[in-house]
Amino acid sequence: MSSEVFKDATRMSGGRASDEAIVAMEGVYKRFKDFEALKNINFQVGKQEVVVVIGPSGSGKSTLIRCINRLEEHDDGRIIVDGTELTTDVRNIQEIRKETGMVFQSFNLFPHLTVLANIALAPRQVRGMPKSEAEALARELLERVKIPEQADKFPAQLSGGQQQRVAIARSLAMKPKVMLFDEPTSALDPEMINEVLDAIKQLAQEGMTMVVVTHEMGFAKEVADRVVFMADGEIVEVGTPSEIFDNPKEERTQKFLAQIL
Amino acid sequence: MTVVFGYVGLWVIWTVIEFVFVTGRWEIIQVNLKLLLVGRFPDELMWLVGASLTALAFWVAAVAGGSKIDLNNVQTIPQRLFDYTRRFGLIVALAALLIFLAADIAALLLAFQVLGGVIVGRLVGLARRKVSVLGAIPSIIWHPMLGSPAIALVLVTLMESTLEEWGGFLINFYMAIISIVLCFPLGVLLALGRRSSFPIIRLVTTTYIELIRGAPLFVLLLLAGVALEFFIPPSIAPDAIFRGVTVFTLFTAAYLAEIVRGGLQSIPKGQTEAGKALGLSTTKITYLITMPQALRNVIPAQIGQFISLFKDTTLAGAALNILDVLNVGTAITKQQDFLGQGLIYEALAFVALLFWVGSYVMSRESQRLEKRLGVGVR
Repeated sequence: MSSEVFKDATRMSGGRASDEAIVAMEGVYKRFKDFEALKNINFQVGKQEVVVVIGPSGSGKSTLIRCINRLEEHDDGRIIVDGTELTTDVRNIQEIRKETGMVFQSFNLFPHLTVLANIALAPRQVRGMPKSEAEALARELLERVKIPEQADKFPAQLSGGQQQRVAIARSLAMKPKVMLFDEPTSALDPEMINEVLDAIKQLAQEGMTMVVVTHEMGFAKEVADRVVFMADGEIVEVGTPSEIFDNPKEERTQKFLAQIL
Repeated sequence: MTVVFGYVGLWVIWTVIEFVFVTGRWEIIQVNLKLLLVGRFPDELMWLVGASLTALAFWVAAVAGGSKIDLNNVQTIPQRLFDYTRRFGLIVALAALLIFLAADIAALLLAFQVLGGVIVGRLVGLARRKVSVLGAIPSIIWHPMLGSPAIALVLVTLMESTLEEWGGFLINFYMAIISIVLCFPLGVLLALGRRSSFPIIRLVTTTYIELIRGAPLFVLLLLAGVALEFFIPPSIAPDAIFRGVTVFTLFTAAYLAEIVRGGLQSIPKGQTEAGKALGLSTTKITYLITMPQALRNVIPAQIGQFISLFKDTTLAGAALNILDVLNVGTAITKQQDFLGQGLIYEALAFVALLFWVGSYVMSRESQRLEKRLGVGVR
């Protein structure tokens, strides 16, 4: 069955963005002691594609995207990001991390730095950009996520939604080739979810390649080019939003959707 | 119950007041003031004391003036004066008392010199915030640059005179300063070593920290006094002050390492992950993200350790035969003029006062620093 899924996945990505995959995972396994968090994951993300990963909690969604930038080390299989294979070579890992942005559930802004310094830090330290240039870039990005007036505040002085938008701006400052979102709205109060989703949608419209783990099904329907449904560490079903939400083939997908919709 | 405590309290206060203003015979302090403060430091070298104190004052003021201020909280002039009085009133009062007791124009000049150092330092600190050229100098270069003259002068002062010639409170103060400056980086490195991914580094640092923390400071000081002769011929063995500073540095660094390690552990894993996800190297994550937050979180414990170190310098007097303020204090009660008159109370009270003022100011400033740096608190 898994090889079928793999074919399915390649077909889907091929349909939109040729064979130029930004992220490719082949037969990836991840184990935590005796627990298999990821089982034989075959998965590709094409250029400018928006892939939304859904599934019950504990199904390995977060682990999947955390493997893409090596916050988790996979045990088996191959992961190739923008033509570079993830190995234990630190330089490879650094190279890949430069090209992948990640937004976390709990924002993880640096509390001792101002909003501006949070965003300017990586361009300065990793890309060696001069301070003035990095700060100009930071202001431009804050404009894009619609909070330019917060530049000189500290993260703790911002609302959750604002913090998450700063986190998005911080990742964009590295001009990544692919953005990974790990449940970006799960820690937010309901009234702030939309401002963050809007920022992500806008990015999608601008053609950013991204993988989004989320529980926001409305967002998935609207923005995703492809939806991946995971359960028990496996990719169960992959398809367009209408295929997955209106006409799921697998029983587990049907059950999950029945529970949440 | 309240009545009993009330009476006891009143009685204690009365006794103290009576001692300070009526029965206490403070001429012993007045006569021996110079001995208590600098020992028999040669007069022709007194400029060194002045220069090093001024350089220290300049450094401290420059660091304080250069820290970020909360722009939402601009104070009016009376508020500022009140704030300054609360912060430095005690030190100024002590200085005034000492000048009064010394009744010497040189002491007054010295005080103005130090005050000048403070003002210039403050201006330099402010200039760093205003002038972008100075602001662009990274802190890791800026602070050592301002501090090194002070440290060099303190070291020269410590080494200039031989052991018999000088002592007093200045020895305690300078030993504490040198030890604090040296033990801080060492403690941070040890903390990092203990968290290192190399087992051998972890083993070495852990062993070191646990060995040092397992031994009483006094024993270590005594050992430094005797044991060194086993390895090095006495003729070239370093003098007692150097040994004292070494022991204080190594000892406090071990405690500091544990404090800093605790601070590092309190930083959520998400901080490191965010740094990694941005492509920062492990070193930069430590230097730019986790360590600054960890050090801020443990300011009270760090300063507490420094205060203990400052007070523990009196142990060096006993263990290494350094003529520190405590030794001078007990020695002067045996002078011919004062022998057998039970003046040890006055001497000890004066020594305690010097330490108390120093410790109290340190502790207050640490609370302030904590508030200041807490601007971006989680």
